[in-house]
Amino acid sequence: MGLATYFRSIKDAIATIGEGMAITASHMVRKPFTIEYPDRLPDGVRIQDTLPFRYRGILEVDLEICTACLACERACPIDCIVIEAEKDKAAGGLVMTRFDIDMAKCMYCGLCSEPCPTGSIHHTPEFEGADYSLESLVRRFVRAPTVAYRPKKAGETDPVIKPILDRGMRYLAEFAKGGES
Amino acid sequence: MADLVQSLFAEATWVHYLVVALLFGAIVVFGLVLPIAGITTWVERRIMGRMQSRIGPNRVGPAGFLQWLADGIKNMLKEDIVPTAADGPLFRFAPYVVMVGFVGTFAVLPFTSALIIADLNVGILYVTAVTALVVVGILMAGWASNNKWSLLGGIRSAAQIVSYEIPAGLSIFPIVMLTGSLSMQEIIKLQGWAPWSWNLFANPFAFVAFFIFFVSALAEGNRTPFDLPEAESELVAGFATEYSGMRNLLFFMAEWGNLYVIGAIVTTLFLGGWQIPFTFESKVVQHLLEFATFFLKAYGVGVLVPIWLRWTLPRIRVDQMMSMCWKYLVPIAFVNLIGTAAWMIWSPVWLQVVTRMVLVVSAAAATMMFAHRVVYHLEYAKLTRAHLLFNPLATTRSPG
Amino acid sequence: MSLAGFEVEVQRSKDDGGVVTEDMTLSMGPQHPSTHGVLRFVIRADGEVMKEAIPDIGYLHRSIEKIAEKVGWHGFIPYTDRVDYVAAMFCNHGWSFACEQLAGIEVPKRAEYCRVIADELCRIHSHLLSVGSMAMDIGAFTPFTHAIREREYLNDLFEELCGARLTFHYMRIGGVGWDLPTGWIDKLSHFLDRFEPLVDEYDRLISFNKIFVERLAGVAPVTAEEAIDFNLVGPNLRASGVRYDVRKDEPYSVYPELEFDVPIGTGEKGIVGDCFDRYIVRMREMRESCRILRQCITQIPDGPVIAKVPRNLKPPAGDVYVRLESARGDMGWYVVSDGTAFPHRCKIRTGSFSAISIVPKISRNLMIADLIAVIASLDLVAPEIDR
Repeated sequence: MGLATYFRSIKDAIATIGEGMAITASHMVRKPFTIEYPDRLPDGVRIQDTLPFRYRGILEVDLEICTACLACERACPIDCIVIEAEKDKAAGGLVMTRFDIDMAKCMYCGLCSEPCPTGSIHHTPEFEGADYSLESLVRRFVRAPTVAYRPKKAGETDPVIKPILDRGMRYLAEFAKGGES
Repeated sequence: MADLVQSLFAEATWVHYLVVALLFGAIVVFGLVLPIAGITTWVERRIMGRMQSRIGPNRVGPAGFLQWLADGIKNMLKEDIVPTAADGPLFRFAPYVVMVGFVGTFAVLPFTSALIIADLNVGILYVTAVTALVVVGILMAGWASNNKWSLLGGIRSAAQIVSYEIPAGLSIFPIVMLTGSLSMQEIIKLQGWAPWSWNLFANPFAFVAFFIFFVSALAEGNRTPFDLPEAESELVAGFATEYSGMRNLLFFMAEWGNLYVIGAIVTTLFLGGWQIPFTFESKVVQHLLEFATFFLKAYGVGVLVPIWLRWTLPRIRVDQMMSMCWKYLVPIAFVNLIGTAAWMIWSPVWLQVVTRMVLVVSAAAATMMFAHRVVYHLEYAKLTRAHLLFNPLATTRSPG
Repeated sequence: MSLAGFEVEVQRSKDDGGVVTEDMTLSMGPQHPSTHGVLRFVIRADGEVMKEAIPDIGYLHRSIEKIAEKVGWHGFIPYTDRVDYVAAMFCNHGWSFACEQLAGIEVPKRAEYCRVIADELCRIHSHLLSVGSMAMDIGAFTPFTHAIREREYLNDLFEELCGARLTFHYMRIGGVGWDLPTGWIDKLSHFLDRFEPLVDEYDRLISFNKIFVERLAGVAPVTAEEAIDFNLVGPNLRASGVRYDVRKDEPYSVYPELEFDVPIGTGEKGIVGDCFDRYIVRMREMRESCRILRQCITQIPDGPVIAKVPRNLKPPAGDVYVRLESARGDMGWYVVSDGTAFPHRCKIRTGSFSAISIVPKISRNLMIADLIAVIASLDLVAPEIDR
């Protein structure tokens, strides 16, 4: 190794190490990037409210607008949705007796929420779903046999159902529509 | 200390001496050494956090200050696992050998003009000798773990520490020559409080010897860029892989505390030690200020700069480390040695004074250039005043 | 000695003094801080120098290709995310592209632009992880955290676009799942303004650091012939000097309308095709991706983002092989349809699989520390190797 290369490598080492040290020193005075979740958030802020609208968190079913079409059950690739519905002439339509989603199996892909006609099954910004037992991860949405919803051609007027339906349709509007602009 | 024992007890036998010595040792170890080692972990983790755009530990105690106590207690409560196939006695003994090698150096560290446990007349030689015990401990740990990865780590470390003893020792010689004595207090007394009277700026050879010594001391302390023996991404934890709980902690406390020892030695040899410009009638105030000066210098150069280097630089490979030692550090250290000797014999007084001034001015200029470069980086990343946070202990409540 | 079903021949030698020297067999096991994912290497070493490093794969095999035959054409797209979860957009794109070729579906222009934007963002995302992990394996922890910090900004962008940070499921057969939200393009250009100086800062911090260069330069060079023989693709191939990029040589989507360079390795710090070249090619590709993204932002047309595709898609019987330039190189998708609603066979060809096959050859007589550098520079990700 020639003398010139010897001294050049010493000079390179000092120059690059000094440059690196200058960069880390400049980082010492920059604001840290950390959000101290969950204990020290800015006052009154729930992280779930800051998440974007399309965030695919834990699934939720608004049974008020579920039509029991079973499109979500068919679309799910993992078969984690189980719905039982029967035609009941007396109640005037389909009656659901079971709507279970096994969140332990769910892979949060969103394939179930796309074909839903009313947007009743949708992802929420909830992500804190940790629990102590596997059985508690199965979300059972039907408590008592529920009559399936029937969408009205003239638009929904019921003041309880309309906001839920609007939210559902807004959720569906985010998805890309086939062939329309 | 002999006087102390004799003044306390009428007839002092060897038992009294032994008890007082042990008590003294316990006070120093538990009151000074272990807290320094522990608090250094807190300092390191906070600084490393800010360098990595995040906050360090900040939950346990104010600004996370008690994190080291929490870690220590956790480690003491852990299960003591000794692998069945490991060499039991060696495995258990190794951390203590390493700790002795580290704690033993505190006996000669001059904290103030009077606060030194034993002002040996071979002070600096004693330090070099005692720190070499660490090699034995690490080799024992690597071998006794009955784990090939630990063995590799132990052997790498032994090669590293033994090799870097040479440039470290050679870099001490210029200072010893300038001082004419091996005693730590003597070395400090012959420097002054002002930067231009430090050994660092005495002559260009001593200036280079400072950096050689600093790099060698980093290598002996197994710090990045020389932390191959405990390379996390290669050898899990090197020689300390099989250790858990308090034994593991003893290894790492030795490493972190060693940083302070490096700082103390560097301050003694090169940076003027505890010298302060004024003398006070009150001995307490005098010694307090001297202690503060020594501690700040030792901590700044010995702890903060290695932490800074650790979180900036990658790791050097084994063969590159050996070649760096033998091809770069040792020849330059020899040149320093001969150069210092020649300087002492042949340079006139006026040249010595001028050289000191020139060196001080160039060091100050280099520091200014460095600060300018830091500001350049902040401007290049388009950061405004709103993106900066100067308080090292603060946390932020929103992302940048 | 038998380890996991294959034999490692340990060599013994006896010298004149009667001292027997034996090689050491190490298992850089499935759990190791620096193998990227669950990989295992069985190393036969003479002290620090390796004589052989044999990869042992299969720890992350999840039968994804078989699952395709069970879940159908649309249902498989979330699974493609998991084929290479570091660069998931490319896998989505590959499968959708293959199905569109089989079924003869034409994708609208805006959808193609959305796909390219998502692809290039994902390329930056993946390369940041690659260079960050490489720096961490070599021992510098700070650049890794800086890379992860930049990825967080990208994660926020992706979260707004498709709702997830890792398993995007953004693309659909016939287009993409969601249109770009309002204001997202501004956020994207804001990100690019912020990101480009930081790539330079990253370079100054670690790329040309003397210690880093010394660790990587001249280590495990792969000549162009070897690279082609062993089927290396992507940045690994380009680092050996071979100018082959699927986006330029077999263009797909809207890449013909975009202007960008293809960085190749020139051996600037050592030998052509060494670890440093593989590293610096990735850094430069990130800059090129920024350039592509800026063009896409200005050129993206209006229009639909998905074609009309039946929910019960039944492509005609046949097979197709499509390839696209993933972060790790030429990713090939061979899909066979038998006319039903379920694919007959899906075979995924990934760049990491070929890259791991070259490790035994190039790591002969290197040190164990170099093996880490080699694995990191080849950008191996275990999910892609095992699927």
